Amino acid sequence: MEANDNHKLALKIVYYGPALSGKTTNLLQLHAQLATERKGELMVMNTRDDRTLFFDMLPVGIRTSNGLDLRLKLYTVPGQVQHDSTRKTLLSRADGIVFVADSQLGQQENNAISFDNLASNLSKVGLDIDRMPLIVQFNKRDLSDIVCEQTLKARWSATPWWPLMLSSALKGHGVTETLEELLKRLYPAVDREHGLDARYGLSQAAFLQRLTARKER
Amino acid sequence: MARHDDELDLDALLSPSQQHRLVELLGRLAEEEIRLIPGHAGDASVEFNLEPVAQLVSSLPDKRRDAAVELVEMILHHAGKYRLAATLHEDAVSASYAELEQRHEALQASEARYRKLAESLQQQVEAQVRVIESTQQELYESARLKAVGQLAAGLAHEINTPIGFIASNLRVAEEYLEEIAERQGASLSQDETLADFCDLLNESRQGAERIAGIVHDIRTFANIDRAEFIAVDVNELVQTAVNLVRTEHGQELPITLSLQHLPNLSGYPAKLAQALFNALDNAAAALGEQGAITVSTAVRDGEIEVAIVDNGHGMSAEVKAHAFDPFYTTRDVGQGTGLGLCVVRDVVRAHRGRLQLESAEGRGTTLTLWFPLLENP
Repeated sequence: MEANDNHKLALKIVYYGPALSGKTTNLLQLHAQLATERKGELMVMNTRDDRTLFFDMLPVGIRTSNGLDLRLKLYTVPGQVQHDSTRKTLLSRADGIVFVADSQLGQQENNAISFDNLASNLSKVGLDIDRMPLIVQFNKRDLSDIVCEQTLKARWSATPWWPLMLSSALKGHGVTETLEELLKRLYPAVDREHGLDARYGLSQAAFLQRLTARKER
Repeated sequence: MARHDDELDLDALLSPSQQHRLVELLGRLAEEEIRLIPGHAGDASVEFNLEPVAQLVSSLPDKRRDAAVELVEMILHHAGKYRLAATLHEDAVSASYAELEQRHEALQASEARYRKLAESLQQQVEAQVRVIESTQQELYESARLKAVGQLAAGLAHEINTPIGFIASNLRVAEEYLEEIAERQGASLSQDETLADFCDLLNESRQGAERIAGIVHDIRTFANIDRAEFIAVDVNELVQTAVNLVRTEHGQELPITLSLQHLPNLSGYPAKLAQALFNALDNAAAALGEQGAITVSTAVRDGEIEVAIVDNGHGMSAEVKAHAFDPFYTTRDVGQGTGLGLCVVRDVVRAHRGRLQLESAEGRGTTLTLWFPLLENP
């Protein structure tokens, strides 16, 4: 997180996960669903077949009445194996991670490989996965051939990343909820370092409510 | 270096010439003067990723001015996309390069380690080979010495009996000679022939006794039958070795003995005698015209100390460095085997002792041997 004298605070959130798990779709949906006070243009950098080449980025932000300019920069990484150095670079100085896993039965090994890759790249850029606010989202719940919830519970309930978020980014389900859940895990660290509540009177509830405000449906 | 998540300012997004062109085109479209002022103050601010990067100044009505702002923002968005991608790419490439360099360094370090290991292994192998070679040579030499010792002991045994009766007979003959002289009523001193005969017998007897002495020394030295550790009087062995060296180098060899009373040492007498002989032989060979050897023994700190000091020609540093190497010799061919000090060292080690060689060229050599006294000798 970066803060400066103008009370500007930028939090970097990285959507990580295997190729084609729906990271960019998450961002597209957030861009469509969020009604955050300040919301920038969605920057998408992909190839002609819609594969992310460098990253996608969506900036959203709020300004508190006492002058805090708080911004979230939501990044996706390219999921394809060959873009590892880009992924690693994007992870540097990350404040929070959303791991977007693919629920399809055939993709479980790719999820595991990508999760290992996340842990290893985090350590390479000097971050510790055990201290990183991290939420795991199992996406594509709308498909039929997917890992059932009991299996997911058996696999993940003993980890620090339980409970998981279930989503269908394509249908817009569980996307904002995932971001909200991550922000819940992120707030204490930011509050500790920058005194969100003490200095700016920004409570966790206000932080969540204002950053993840949704458009009227 | 710029980072992919840094904020970009107007100049980073559009070059001044592009800014100029943009403003000029906007002005032509609006038919009004339009200016872009970098920074973030006032109304009509142009944002890039939520960050105000410029202020659009014009006298346009709000609606048209906002459209102009949006148009500039859209252009900046696409220009920024390229800029961010390029910066990210550069970040990633330089990080990969740094990582490659690190790996390269690690690889070089590991290669150096292996090279060093290989070298040290080579050295260890060479050292082992040297140990094996010298052990073989010593084994060969010790077998040879044993054979010589056996031969000497056999000879000594064979000579011992005849020389015994020769000496005894000569003594009897001297007595008979005195009786003959008495019978003839003359004293030995008066009869020249008888007196001469008496001298001959006397000299012969002394010669026979000397032979008997040498035989005794050889038997002590060879000591073939006794292979076990036994109680040894080191002073007696020193005496024997001195006698043998004198036999070799001449009776007039100037050796001064300073022997203190010693407890018995548990050891191999034959080997200890051999070691002392070798040490003395070296000292004797080093002596010049005026040289002298001193051998002293003493008990010091639970050890028997034997010091063989000569004031002969001494050793150069190089000779001293090789002094204990097997087959290293400074003597002429046939004069020395190059095993002398090597055997001394091995004998000392066999008795769990230690030794020290001090030498200065032209000033002589001191070889000191220490043997630990066992608690139950």
